Amino acid sequence: MTRPDLSTSPVPGAAFGTPVLEVDDLHVEFRTRSGVVNAVNGISYSLAEGETLAVLGESGSGKSVSAQAIMGILDSPPAVITGGGIYFQGEDLLKQSPEEQRKVRGPGISMIFQDALSSLNPVYSVGYQIGEMFRAHRGMSKRDAKKHAIELMDRVRIPAAASRVDDYPHQFSGGMRQRVMIAMAIALDPRVLIADEPTTALDVTVQAQVMDLLKDLQRDTGMGLVLITHDLGVVNEVADNVAVMYAGRIVERGTVDDVFGNPAHPYTDGLMSSVPQVEAKGGRLQPIVGQPPNLAAIPSGCPFHPRCSRRRLGAAAAPGRECATDVPPLRLVAPGREAACHYSEEVLGV
Amino acid sequence: MGRYVARRLLLTIPVLLGASFLIFGMVYALPGDPIRALAGDRPVSPAVVEVLRERFHLNDPLWVQYWEYLKGLFQGDLGTDFRGRPVLDTIERTLPVTVKLALVAIVFEAVIGLVAGVLAGIRRNSFFDNLVLVSTTLIVSIPILVLAFVAQLLFGLKLGWFPIAGTREGLYSYLLPGLVLASGSLAYVARLTRTSVAENLRADYVRTARAKGLPNRTVIVRHTLRNSLIPVVTFIGADIGTLLGGAIVTETVFNLPGIGREVFDSVRAQEGAVVVGIVTLMVFFFIFFNLVVDVLYAVLDPRIRYD
Repeated sequence: MTRPDLSTSPVPGAAFGTPVLEVDDLHVEFRTRSGVVNAVNGISYSLAEGETLAVLGESGSGKSVSAQAIMGILDSPPAVITGGGIYFQGEDLLKQSPEEQRKVRGPGISMIFQDALSSLNPVYSVGYQIGEMFRAHRGMSKRDAKKHAIELMDRVRIPAAASRVDDYPHQFSGGMRQRVMIAMAIALDPRVLIADEPTTALDVTVQAQVMDLLKDLQRDTGMGLVLITHDLGVVNEVADNVAVMYAGRIVERGTVDDVFGNPAHPYTDGLMSSVPQVEAKGGRLQPIVGQPPNLAAIPSGCPFHPRCSRRRLGAAAAPGRECATDVPPLRLVAPGREAACHYSEEVLGV
Repeated sequence: MGRYVARRLLLTIPVLLGASFLIFGMVYALPGDPIRALAGDRPVSPAVVEVLRERFHLNDPLWVQYWEYLKGLFQGDLGTDFRGRPVLDTIERTLPVTVKLALVAIVFEAVIGLVAGVLAGIRRNSFFDNLVLVSTTLIVSIPILVLAFVAQLLFGLKLGWFPIAGTREGLYSYLLPGLVLASGSLAYVARLTRTSVAENLRADYVRTARAKGLPNRTVIVRHTLRNSLIPVVTFIGADIGTLLGGAIVTETVFNLPGIGREVFDSVRAQEGAVVVGIVTLMVFFFIFFNLVVDVLYAVLDPRIRYD
């Protein structure tokens, strides 16, 4: 079987306009006393205005670290960005001074986190913390900042915003706290919002409300949304495109419909089979065997090969496509689809 | 909050009664006869001794003596020493010295301890951080008695930078004893601040502050230090009470006529009324400043609510 030449096919995300955020071959490692941990190993993606890109992966797949690298808030040391570029509206953030980078955070790119309780400062009122955005970036007075904070709290549908503006984070419910985080993040009309597991800590009903809010805000403002999650259901509902991460690499990328409808990578395939399906009621779930790799000692070749049911080792492998020795590059496997597997065509059933 | 403070203040009454009774019993249990000790080598007639013993209720059992003491106390009379001087006068004379000493110590403790701790916490594992760690370990491992004599010998006698003893040079005389008195707490404040700052720098809300694009100064001062200093401020507050009561060694070594030295002298002379009066006062300071700290804690951390 010869591989089809797909180099002229449209790339993922092309359905949207010009990219506002581009990540190019990003590498991040943690230099610890016990050795180097390779958290992010060359990921690339682009995000257009109005696009929702889901970054999907298990804990430790590098999805949060890559997001923090984009924000410029990695704890350094131990984290070091060892290569690549992060382009926001065409400018490489990694080549900018810390002060220039700081000015992008908030009006350009902003971020919300998983645990809103610990991510909000317990000793300041929510109004103060939202208002800080206007005071720090626009030099607004305390009084005007508070007025804007109330408007934002209204906008994220916090009831009785005017009377709750002076309340402290611990006086809000989990869902309301996440709304406060969102209000803070959208305060300055960012072009990109990175949401790092925004609903993981919430009840299912509240999850849906928060996701609806994010989608509505995105529709109103046209911002790009990077949604980091391990929840396949959330991805299916709100994302346009999806990038599946494994061991610090993107192993599959494409539209949500394509990737979820017919995975091109055995890992994605395994993820799909491990999710309960309403139609397959009564059947047993098929977990992916084994453990996620230790990022300080990533397996040679394809990092997924020790857990892969389709791996081909030794003589069974095609030349240059031995799963335990040859690293599969992320390549076009079908129009608008990329995967990092030597045998994606088989996985796709082409 | 008001009810909480009122309840805490009411609770101090039984504590003070219990403390005073314990101290009374301990002085009572001391060996020797205070009247004979008062007379020293001079011959004194048994009749005079007996009159004095009767006047100070020394022949009565412990509980009668304590009852007589309490009766006086509720009339605002703290009693007199064996020379007939009212204990209240003694406290009025000696307390200002101790208050001045404690204030000087608190200033040293807060300023040096906080600055060293904050800098060490922000620049963890730097040369300065290690310097703070080593020097504070050294300070807390030397007993205050040794520290006091060494400081007196080195800075007072050899170098002559500070007065050796007494209060004749005003505030200046309090600097060296104040530093000695503060040393242990100072080291503790530096350590506590360092740990607290280092811990808070890793907090999620500090990461949020950076993600918001706040200037570094704001991230450090508003979102790290404000939170880090809550435990430190409460420690310093509680320490005021401790320092007011813990100046016995320092005041004795530097010959400062404060309540600490007065207690030391009174214990040796078995001046029961003086010891009980001053130590009960120390206990009161301790309880009072702990209450102040608890109230302060609720002001600093909105998550703490009483009632």
